[in-house]
Amino acid sequence: MDRKPHLKTSLKPRPLAKFPSFPLPLGSLFAIALRCCLTGLTCLTCLTGLSACNREPETKAVTLALIPMGSTDEFWKSVHAGGVQASQKLGVNIIWQGPIRRDDRTAQIDVVENMIVRGVKGIILAPIDNMALRASVEDAYRNKIPVVIIDSNLNTDKSISFVATDNYKGGVMAGEHMVKILGAKGRVAMLRNVEGSASTDNRERGFLDTLKKVPGIKVVSSNLYAGATTESAYRASENLLAPLKLAKGDVALDGIFCPNESCAFGMLRALQDGDLTGKVKFIGFDSSDKLVEGLERGHIDALVVQDPVRMGYLGVEKLVDYLNGKTIEKKIDVPATLVTRDNLKDPTIKELVSPDIKKWLKE
Amino acid sequence: MNKQIKEWINKLMPLAALVLVYIVFAFIAPPSFVSLKNLELIVRQTTIVGIASLGMTLVIIGGGIDLSVGSIVALVTVCIAWLLMAGCSPIIAALGGVFAGLVCGLINGALITRLKLVPFIITLGTLLVYRGCAKGLAHEQKIDAPLSWINELLAALKPEQSWMVVPAGVWMLILLAILIALVLKYTRFGLYVFSIGSNEQASRLCGVPIENVKLLIYGISGLFAGFAGLMQFSRLTVGDPTVASGLELDVIAAVVIGGGSLAGGEGSVLGTILGALIMTVIRSGCTQMGLSNWVQEIVTGIIIVVAVVLDRMRHKQQS
Repeated sequence: MDRKPHLKTSLKPRPLAKFPSFPLPLGSLFAIALRCCLTGLTCLTCLTGLSACNREPETKAVTLALIPMGSTDEFWKSVHAGGVQASQKLGVNIIWQGPIRRDDRTAQIDVVENMIVRGVKGIILAPIDNMALRASVEDAYRNKIPVVIIDSNLNTDKSISFVATDNYKGGVMAGEHMVKILGAKGRVAMLRNVEGSASTDNRERGFLDTLKKVPGIKVVSSNLYAGATTESAYRASENLLAPLKLAKGDVALDGIFCPNESCAFGMLRALQDGDLTGKVKFIGFDSSDKLVEGLERGHIDALVVQDPVRMGYLGVEKLVDYLNGKTIEKKIDVPATLVTRDNLKDPTIKELVSPDIKKWLKE
Repeated sequence: MNKQIKEWINKLMPLAALVLVYIVFAFIAPPSFVSLKNLELIVRQTTIVGIASLGMTLVIIGGGIDLSVGSIVALVTVCIAWLLMAGCSPIIAALGGVFAGLVCGLINGALITRLKLVPFIITLGTLLVYRGCAKGLAHEQKIDAPLSWINELLAALKPEQSWMVVPAGVWMLILLAILIALVLKYTRFGLYVFSIGSNEQASRLCGVPIENVKLLIYGISGLFAGFAGLMQFSRLTVGDPTVASGLELDVIAAVVIGGGSLAGGEGSVLGTILGALIMTVIRSGCTQMGLSNWVQEIVTGIIIVVAVVLDRMRHKQQS
């Protein structure tokens, strides 16, 4: 047993022969024909698959790439809608391409590199990681492709602008509203999001800084973390409320702030299950159908809502401005909005909490 | 004579498929697709899967499977970042990371040979174990590490480095591929790998040291996952415990597209590399055309199935 072919024939049990029942040349011819068919089929599937998707019209001169963190979330679909809106208004063409696996840093690096090689005129990027995407953005800079960063910051000076919600201001907004509805006195708790998330850290800081200025308000709890899921947020909420519960179903607490969607939803469920809704003023951040419903039913007093459509729109608009030779600011704020039960019926607010993305994405 | 020609055709199938896919995209993708720069990008983006799939080629020829490579890659990036943050020099961190990969692979091999369980189950278990280790070591966060020459391994070449043609990491892939191809063709170990994959019982009766060979196979798979992890770290610049989830499937797909048989006893290094390249070409082409992700996934999936169908036809023909 010194040569592989021998070894194979001698060791492997022979499978049932089928082709030899044909006259041999016919059999192999048939096999080759079938093989060609299969290869052809693959090609065809490729081609039909590709042509089924709308290829970009060749007439438009400027092509920009809009690269989100993932392509399936509501938030990113809204950003996409905003980008499409701007591209139609400004007569540019955008390629919407997210990483194939959500929140996969390498996949996003791959996309950025492909866009650089493709020679797009500019890139709007929502970096998954504040460090890992540096090299790619610097590569774009070397290739003279301007990059606008949106939503989440990147540790580089090679981008032309950073378009995002000022999360600190959003926290301040929540804090000011809390002071207002509590009449500047009372006991307030805050459930933090997760350790090391820059955006929610800033919201939490903004909220606490605002409350500190009001002597009548006492922060009774601000060191609990909700964790990444609704389930963990629900448990953390129960842990936060448990020691504050009094007799007769009352609670030694007047106000609660939650700095993101999953956290706010977990707290909402805990308040509902503990029969505490309405007894405690509750402000959340970001919106979802469930949170808006909570707002309508009076279980939530206010939501601070970001504007992803506007973020996508501004990202594209600022990049086009830059390409047209205008100077643009290094940092552009996409202001957050305070949504309460009173202004929920307002058409602009309605558009904000449930944007009509289908119209723009033609879904 | 006729048989030899057929064998050649079989060997060239993955190459033909690669050329075909490339030509299809050359026609329908934007002109940038056929640029030299894009070729460099394609080989660069193939490197991680390519290196890991070299180890997987050995495993699959030997009739096994290693599902834990993605997790090993993640663990290695975390180890490297952790060592760098602990103040080690880049070379120590890189070697430490690769060594961690080797250890993981040897653990796989030891469990499979000592417990006599199927590799699918063992590596499915260690897939979770290594991922968990990575997350634990990193406290469920990414670890930022200072920039070093490691990050240059797989970065786009700067103009002054153009003499290298492709980045160092790609050269490493090429050298490792040649090494494995030679080992498979000319060493006793290579022959043992084929024989175990073809018929383990018969090999045992012929006196092949099955346990030791298997241990070595999985060790090498882990080692190569370690090298892949080094490349992954080079690209990411951070240690990320969640990176490369699902990488094992890309790696297995590369081997299968390249003519490897999951029944064992078949596969080639050249085929595997071509298989990995085919997947990158599709991804790159689709991305540059601005196609949705689902199209890429469907096209890659179809190609895997077609490759296996071809493989089965080849078997029927041979018998």
